[in-house]
Order: sequence, then C-alpha cells, then structure tokens
Amino acid sequence: MKLLTKTNRIYLAFSLVIYLLTAVSFYQIIRMVIYDEVENRLRVEKRDFEEYVRMHNSWSTIPYFVENKIVVVPARGSKFQREVFTDTLIQNRYDNELAPFRQLTFYEPIQGVMHRVSIRKSLIQTYRLIEVITVVMIVFLGLLLLGSFWFQGKLSGRLWNPFYNTLARLKFFDLASDKPLELDKSEITEFTELNEVLQKMADKMRQDYSSLKEFTENASHEMQTPLALINAKVEQLIQTKQLTEVQMNWIDSIYQASRRIARLNQGLLLLAKIENRQFNDVQQINFTQLLIEKLQDMEEVLTHKHLTVSEQLTAPFDVLLPASLADSLVTNLVSNAIKHNQAGGQIKLTSTNNQLSLSNTGGLLTTDPERLFERFKKESTGPDSVGLGLAIVKQICDSYNIGVSYHYVDGMHTISLTAFH
Amino acid sequence: MKVLVVEDEKGLAESITDYMVQDGYICETATTFGEAEEKIHLYNYDCIIVDLTLPDGNGFQIIETLKRLTATTGVIIISARNALEDKLKGLEIGSDDYLTKPFHLSELNARVKSLLRRRQFGGHTEIRFQEIRVVPHTRNVFVNGQPTTLSRKEYDLLLYFLSNIDVALTKASIAEHLWGDNIDSADSFDIVYSHIKNLRRKLLEKGAADYVQSIYGIGYKFSMP
Repeated sequence: MKLLTKTNRIYLAFSLVIYLLTAVSFYQIIRMVIYDEVENRLRVEKRDFEEYVRMHNSWSTIPYFVENKIVVVPARGSKFQREVFTDTLIQNRYDNELAPFRQLTFYEPIQGVMHRVSIRKSLIQTYRLIEVITVVMIVFLGLLLLGSFWFQGKLSGRLWNPFYNTLARLKFFDLASDKPLELDKSEITEFTELNEVLQKMADKMRQDYSSLKEFTENASHEMQTPLALINAKVEQLIQTKQLTEVQMNWIDSIYQASRRIARLNQGLLLLAKIENRQFNDVQQINFTQLLIEKLQDMEEVLTHKHLTVSEQLTAPFDVLLPASLADSLVTNLVSNAIKHNQAGGQIKLTSTNNQLSLSNTGGLLTTDPERLFERFKKESTGPDSVGLGLAIVKQICDSYNIGVSYHYVDGMHTISLTAFH
Repeated sequence: MKVLVVEDEKGLAESITDYMVQDGYICETATTFGEAEEKIHLYNYDCIIVDLTLPDGNGFQIIETLKRLTATTGVIIISARNALEDKLKGLEIGSDDYLTKPFHLSELNARVKSLLRRRQFGGHTEIRFQEIRVVPHTRNVFVNGQPTTLSRKEYDLLLYFLSNIDVALTKASIAEHLWGDNIDSADSFDIVYSHIKNLRRKLLEKGAADYVQSIYGIGYKFSMP
C-alpha cells in the first residue's frame, strides 16, 4: 500500500469517528437545551394554572388554552404523585397527524377534588429547529472533513514529492552505466539527508564496482604475458628429441592446463570489456547469415560428431552489435550447440524477423536453465569447458538490448534471441 | 631473413628468437622501447615482431618510426590486449598482422612466413618441400607435378605444416589454426586427427613420402621420414 493511501485511510477513519462523536454530542446538547427551555415554560404555565385555580377555585377551558394543551381530569384514588415530564404524541385535530409534545403532569385539588392536570407544549417547532441545526451541522462538518482531507492529500503529496523523485531516480540507477546517481536538493532536512546518504552509497558502490572490474581486467591482462611464456616454453620443450612418452604426457598436461587458463582469462577479459562498453562500432548485422556461415565453417566438426543441421528460415534476424561481439556471440552459440550435443544428434536453426533460436539435442537438464547463464555454471563437468560461454552470450545480449532465454523441451536445448524493436 | 623481436618479457623474446633461429632466420631482440628505436635506426629488417606495451614506450610509435624509415619491413603486433581498436590502429599505421597473447610459436612462425611471402614476391611465390609444391595465390597443390585436390581445411593444414617443417606442432595449435581461437572442445583433437589422416592419405596416393609423424599424444610433426 502506498504511504499516502495509508495515511489518508487512517486520517479518514479517525476523522469519521470524531465527526460522528461530535455530531451525536452536538445533537444531544441541542436537545437538552431545548427540552430545558420547554420544561421551564411548562413550569411557568403550571404556576399560572395554580394561580388561576387558587383565585377562582375552579377550572374552565378558557380560550386561552387552545388545542387541548391542558387537560384536567379528576384523579381516582388519592395517591399523590410528583410532577412528571413525559414525551407524548398527540393527534392533530385538523389533519390527523401525530405531533410530538412535551407534557407536564401534576396533581392539583380543585374544589376539594384531586385532579390530574397535564399541560403540553408542542415540540414540532423545536424538532424542526433541531433538524435544521443537525442538517446544517452535517453539511458544514462534512465540508470541513472533505476540505481538510483534500488539503491533507495535496499537502502530503507535495511534501513527499522529493521522496518519490528520489525513488524514481534510484529505480533507474544502473550500477554498470557510467552515469552517477544525481538527486535533487530538497528543502526538507530529512529528505536532503536521505539523498546525501544515498548519493554517497551509490558513489561508493560505483567506485567499488569499477575498481572490481578494473581489477579483473588488469589481472587478466597481467596474466596474458606469463601464459604466453609458459605456452612458448612448452612448445619449445616438445621440440626436444630425447623426451620419453611419460615426460611428454606431463608436458601435455601442463600445456592443456595453461591453455585452459588462457581461455578462461580471455573469457573474463571479454566479459569485462563488454561490461565496460569498450566496443563501439555498433552496426546492423544479419545474424542468421553469420550463424549459417559459422556452422559451415564448423562443417568438419559437425561431420565428425555426426550432427545434422536443419534450418527453418522465415526471415533474417538482424541485430545491432559491434562486429567482433557478433562474432563472439555466434562462436559461443555454435560451440555450445556442438559441445553439449550427443553423437548423431541434431542442430536446429530457426530464424524469423524478431527471433532466432538455435536448438541442439542433449542430455537431461538438471539445473535451472536460466542459471546456466551465470559465470562458471556448467551442466557437464567436462574439463574442456570453462563455463563462460553462455555468460558471454548473456552479457552481450544484455548490453545490446537483445532478449535471451534458454529452454529445455523433450531432449532439445534451445537458446533463443529476441529483438526488442 | 632478418627479424627483430621487440618484447619486454625476456623469456618470451628468447623463445621466439630460438624458434625463429631454428627455422633459419637471423633474429635479434630488443626488450625496451629505446633499444628497439636504436636498432631500427641502425639496421634493416625484413620483419619485426612488436609487443604493444613496453615499459618505456608504446609499440605503435616504433611501428610509425619504422614505417618512416623502411616502409617495406613487415610488422606483426603481439599484444596481451585483444582489442579491435588496437588491431585497426595497427593496420592503419602499416602493420600486417596482429596476434593476441598467449599465442603458439608455430602460429607466429606461420604468420611471419606468410607475411614475408606476400611482401617479397608479391605473393607469387611457390612453396616447395621435396615433391610437394604449393601455389598459395591459387591455392593449388601439386605432388610430383600432379594436381592434388585438398579440402579447404586440409590445404590450410598442409600450409601450416609447410611453414613449420621439422617442428612438433601441438594438436591445440593445429585446431586453433584451422578453426580459430574459440575451438575448445576435446572433440577438436579427434577432428585434427581425422584431417591429418585424410591429408596424409591424399599425399601418399599421389606418391609423396610419409612426412607426417605423430609425437606421442601431444601433436604432429612434418619432416623427412
């Protein structure tokens, strides 16, 4: 849930509770005040009534008391009750509507006989008053609620704006690119601090990352010359005539090992160079054509392993790549398809306008296909594979906006390249 | 033939020199930029092999100086940097070839030979070894005067052998010469074997002697039986 939504919800719930409580208590207070007023008037009328009875010692329904607002009935029994206020509904004598009344009931002896006297006052006006006040109050409070809700939303939206800005920039921050993370200054101290900390972290990360890359590259470079030396010396050594077969085997092992390191080294160097974007002669390349040429070049190898190649070409798959990387990509794909194939297997090339797939028969896949793109991740433990081929494929594709995926279905391993046009 | 090797790694310079001397070249070494500058000013070489990164200077500068002095000298760059820009820059200022370290001495030798052939006789030179005659610019092979048909890779293989007569060639160097650096499958050695078998059969069929010898497990040698 978004921060603003969350605070808005809490704010809304809290305001509603306060609003209802205020409304209820407001209503109660108004009612109380009005009842108090009505009851006071009833008491005054009671005094008037008592005064009248004391003076005249009788009661007549004089016109002063209209609308059966006073009812005097002889009370049976002689129990004295105290005066009571009650709410009652009386039918209007003209239109048969029930109207609310407040009634004061008391007992008064008239000419020696105890009478029960009820004086009523219509509450219809006061009810209307309450209604009006309530409606007005609801409207005003509602407006206040909405207004402050809107204001709150606007305000926090504006206050949090630098935060969302920072977040958006962070999302687009790419460690591998050479652009530093740039964050705006905010007038709010907390956000400024946050930005400063983030910026410092990003700078440190970029520094570490680039020194790591530099280290890989330098280390690989430095290794090339000693490797060349080992290679050269081994090649000279095998020219010696007096070597025995056992010695030759040892030398061969040394030689193989040094070749392997050399290849590994070249792979790492290539990866570092792609990461550093040291290739910039990007051009449009007919990748399908390049792949077919590579397969033709490998013809002897294919024949040797009894591999059959089938092609299903709908349209050429074009890519935008530096020529040397296109060559690396093709070589790695083809050598992968040959290396992990089985004797008498197949290689299938499918090419359309926006997708190119190279499939090869092969053993069951035991690891997650996507993980095969990681460095040094190998399916087979064969000594002739250094485990960088697919990592290079992935790195090239990632760096030059080509989608790449690995699928394994029914004994066919497929690597697909997809263009994002 | 006079060759200058400019390489700061003494051991490597020594290996290259030894290898070239065995093949009949007169070979000199320079291990610093200064030494190399001095040598190219004093002597004439048919070919120089230059490392790009030297402790006291840049190999490109040597090439530029050399091209000003004697434009006919062949130049092969050997570098630890497998960078296209370097290759292009090298070609631009007049170098002929580019080898990335680590390389095979036999490969370097083959490149030097091919370069000298191209430079000195405009490529119109034939390679002769006993009864075998190869015409590089038409890619024709004759054994005892009879034309012999070889596949593309067999031809490359023969030429590689002829550039390295009497030298033990490792299977890896042969495989890489034929299919490029990226051939790294163990199968490639079997393929090398089958190619050598075919080449040998074709040469024998035309009456050539059996020049190809296997050296234990490590490789092959083309030499007088």
